[in-house]
Amino acid sequence: MNPVLMIVAPIVLSGVLALFLKKDTPIIKYIALGFFSFMLLFSIKLLSSLPKVGYLDLAKMLTVEKWDFVLSLQVDHLSVIMLILTSVLLILVTLSSWTMKGSVGYFSLLIFFAGPISGVFMSTNFLWFFIFWELTLVPMFFLVGIWGAEGRIYASIKFFLYTHVASMFILLAFFLIYKETGTFDMTLVKESMLASPVLIWWLLFIGFAVKMPIFPFHTWLPDAHVQAPAPISVLLAGVLLKMGAYAMIRMVVLLLPQQTEAFSWVILTLGLITLFYAGFMALYETHLKKMVAYSSISHMGLVTVAIGTASYAGLSAGVYEMIGHALIISPLFLIAGFLHQRTGSWYIKDMGGLMQKAPYLSTIFVLAGLAALGLPATMGFVAELSILIASIERFGMGMILIALGSMIGAGYIIWTFRRVIYAEQSTLIEKSDFKMHRIEFLALLLFALGIVVFGLFPSLLFDTINTAFVALSTAGGIG
Amino acid sequence: MVASLLLLPLLGAILAYLLGLQNKKLAFWVAEITGILLFMISLILMINYTEPIDIPMTWFEFGAISIPFGIYIDQLSLVMLLIATGLGFLDIHFAHDYMSDDPHQPRYYAKVLFFIGGMILLVSAKDMISLFVGWEFMGLASYLLISFWHEQKAPADAGVSAFLFTRFGDIFLFAAIGLLFYFSGTLDLMQINAMANSGTLDKDTMFLIAIFIFIAAIGKSGQFPLFPWLMRAMEGPTTVSALIHGATMVNSGIYIVARLFDFYTVAGALIVVASIGAISAFIGATSALVQSELKKVLAYSTMSHLSIAFVGLGAGSLVAGMTHLVNHAVFKALLFLGAGAVIMSVHHVKDMWRLGGLSKKMLWISIFMGMAVLSLSGIPPFSGFYSKDAVIASAIINPDTTGLIAILVTIAGLLSMAYIGRLWVLTFRGEPRDKSLFTQVKTPSTFWIVLPLAIMAGVTLLLGFVQTPLAQMLSGETSVKMHHVDGLVLGLIFAMSILALLVYYFYIRRLDLTAKVSKHPLMKAIHSVLFNGYYVEYLIYWFIEHVIIQSIAKTMHWIDQHLIDASINGVVTLAKKVSKVFGYTYSQKVGDNASAMAIGLFFLLVAMLLGGIV
Repeated sequence: MNPVLMIVAPIVLSGVLALFLKKDTPIIKYIALGFFSFMLLFSIKLLSSLPKVGYLDLAKMLTVEKWDFVLSLQVDHLSVIMLILTSVLLILVTLSSWTMKGSVGYFSLLIFFAGPISGVFMSTNFLWFFIFWELTLVPMFFLVGIWGAEGRIYASIKFFLYTHVASMFILLAFFLIYKETGTFDMTLVKESMLASPVLIWWLLFIGFAVKMPIFPFHTWLPDAHVQAPAPISVLLAGVLLKMGAYAMIRMVVLLLPQQTEAFSWVILTLGLITLFYAGFMALYETHLKKMVAYSSISHMGLVTVAIGTASYAGLSAGVYEMIGHALIISPLFLIAGFLHQRTGSWYIKDMGGLMQKAPYLSTIFVLAGLAALGLPATMGFVAELSILIASIERFGMGMILIALGSMIGAGYIIWTFRRVIYAEQSTLIEKSDFKMHRIEFLALLLFALGIVVFGLFPSLLFDTINTAFVALSTAGGIG
Repeated sequence: MVASLLLLPLLGAILAYLLGLQNKKLAFWVAEITGILLFMISLILMINYTEPIDIPMTWFEFGAISIPFGIYIDQLSLVMLLIATGLGFLDIHFAHDYMSDDPHQPRYYAKVLFFIGGMILLVSAKDMISLFVGWEFMGLASYLLISFWHEQKAPADAGVSAFLFTRFGDIFLFAAIGLLFYFSGTLDLMQINAMANSGTLDKDTMFLIAIFIFIAAIGKSGQFPLFPWLMRAMEGPTTVSALIHGATMVNSGIYIVARLFDFYTVAGALIVVASIGAISAFIGATSALVQSELKKVLAYSTMSHLSIAFVGLGAGSLVAGMTHLVNHAVFKALLFLGAGAVIMSVHHVKDMWRLGGLSKKMLWISIFMGMAVLSLSGIPPFSGFYSKDAVIASAIINPDTTGLIAILVTIAGLLSMAYIGRLWVLTFRGEPRDKSLFTQVKTPSTFWIVLPLAIMAGVTLLLGFVQTPLAQMLSGETSVKMHHVDGLVLGLIFAMSILALLVYYFYIRRLDLTAKVSKHPLMKAIHSVLFNGYYVEYLIYWFIEHVIIQSIAKTMHWIDQHLIDASINGVVTLAKKVSKVFGYTYSQKVGDNASAMAIGLFFLLVAMLLGGIV
């Protein structure tokens, strides 16, 4: 199959579906599920055909001589890992949106999203990368703006504007690179060819930092998360933020190793601030979903620290945490959204005693929460441990601070358990019905399964992730 | 053999839960059988012991770093294993009656097995990673078991307290893993000891790491200042208290110091261990004196006696500390299960002031508990006598600990006679103070309740006669010298006799006088300080509430809302104003989009200019 289809097909398909299917036709869900499963198979097949080191060429087309405007698709281990993560999450998002209203529009947008996101991970031409990067915003904008909660308009516009402005930094950097090297091909650009690597580094860093998000560019996220429908929060946290982290690794750390080395203190400091700052925000938060959102940001702080190490071990740990974060934070978002849907309240103070009313749901909430605070036998622990060790190896013993971050995590998570899951039932919980659709519950179960299986057997993931950065091991660090 | 020891608890837990869903009684039987099997395996390992079982394993590799997960079982581990599985089994057996009315038995037994499994992993750990995993499993299991009756507020709060207090310690252990990796390059416990002995590590670094690990031990073993969770944990089922205080959790803190004893010795951190131990011993013993709840007395007494074991280690005597830990584990589990039997029989009344005269109703239980009382007080020939004496003697002999530390631990040792005597007398002797309750006392079952107590009482007595072999096993050496100080035993016994007389006088003969004395304002003030555990919990909670949440977190929240987010909104407003200046007419609705495009076009233009494309 031509890999370009992986980008074009969902865009065309979504258009066709949106035009020809009647509103709320149930078949759309199966089409979405089928398509995302196909995408997963496609990505797995890519993984099996990858060379040990370097890129696998997929396609080169649409050449415009003068501008170096070539749609060149190439993948390596890192991009295929991201593709697999994305397709798995899209499947799970579809499952957890099983009872979504206005389904044709909703699922069409989801399918559409699969196109540009594949493009982001596959294209090695800066311009095309940028086009796909921007295109992912479109479906997200509508998904939040139409299917979101009360304040969805404000949130979606803020989200769009904020990340769009950030994209301008990225575009600026791309043009600078073109001006200085004469190519948009990211596999050809070397740091030594650049005349102003410092400026480019900062532009790219800020551009991607907004997406991840890193303090102080994080304020768009809690709003977007709160207003987005729960499955879209999963997509935001699991895919959109990871896009930022992916780009940060690929275009900041791997492309500009010397600048990254020089500015590693910037990444490290901001990562640590994000970790603690968002942790304290979560501690103070009374809004359940916002609490989860800040917890998510806090974990991205950990990813940032890992990326800041720019080492073989650190980047591997960081990518593991990216996957872990996606699996851990998603059920928390889904359950927070579900509680709001059934009780009508966002606030923790209105909850209580959920364990008596919905024991299975609560158990998954507890499991995901424990993973978020880094309990062994979950992905959270492996991620924290490996990031701790990798960052200590790179930055020295001061990095034991990371351990303190997990204390704050324990604080807000255990205290949330106490107020939401345990103790007497609140009146709101008592009179609400928590019967969940089978398939939506299945999605939660799969998340929980992933958290435990990959937490007990991290090698299942690390074997592949290590390969992605194995080039760094021979180089003796970065560069 | 070893694999089954490690995996059986997990398997049992899953099976107990799943089968328990079909039939509640099945959950119990699965747990009972798993419990006895675990004990048998530990026993067989002990009998066949020739040399340490050493199984190095790798858990996973990231980058070029590999994370180990090894198993190492020597005699020290085996003694801890026997305690965990033996007492654990008796505890499960006892729960048959104690938990018989509970609708959630499958969940209960599953968690108990998981708990025991965590302890097994911890004491069989070869490296910091497997140790930490076991450590955290126990933290989780204790959280779930303490808040087992999570429908009520108090147990739910107690669970939070247990998790967070111990977690605070745990993060230091986690950080210690990082430090050890950084400085020594190994996480293997035996190698860490070996490196300490060979002097390859910097002493200050070792001291720091030792303190970090000790903070974790403080959390788990309920030492000052992280002890309040131990008292709150009394909200859980009494069988869980017995498990936490006797068989498993609190022992782990002492075990880890004993496991890294060489490291602690070389690092010069033992004096810190001894000091914290002495302070905690004193706080625990004095607070136990005034508690009115049966279980609270026992909880403070646990704190105090673990501290005595810590002082033993801190004074440089591994043997004294560890034998005291072993002896304590048995008699404390016995006391807790005895208390459980009492509480069950009096319809869950825990206030000792409503009991009294119960030995008429449950003679055997009062005798067995009495044996534990004698052992805890340190009366020969019971086991507690030997180890407590050895600890005090070591503290006196060691020049580092000979002053205040020795005095504090001696006071704590003596006071244990007073508080535990008070507990026993108030519960079993004298006249029943609540007549109607007394008439409704249920008789506990012989097989399910009295039998486990009898076994533990027998072991407590027996242990007194095997202290030397036990000490040899714990230290792994054939000749062990227990410290003795001339005249110490005589002095202690003399002091204890006086205390015993005082207890008799104040709590049996002249209870009215006690009531009168306690009305005095000064006594009241002292009482309330002791009763509330020196207000340590209040201070910690005050700090969390007012400093961490209401100051730090609140300030950050304000900054987020009013500075960071506001500045972004400010930029947007500015952009709108700019577009107005340029004469664009706009409606509110399209305004945001318009400004977005304006900004976008602006940047694009700059980009193109810079790129030299236009």
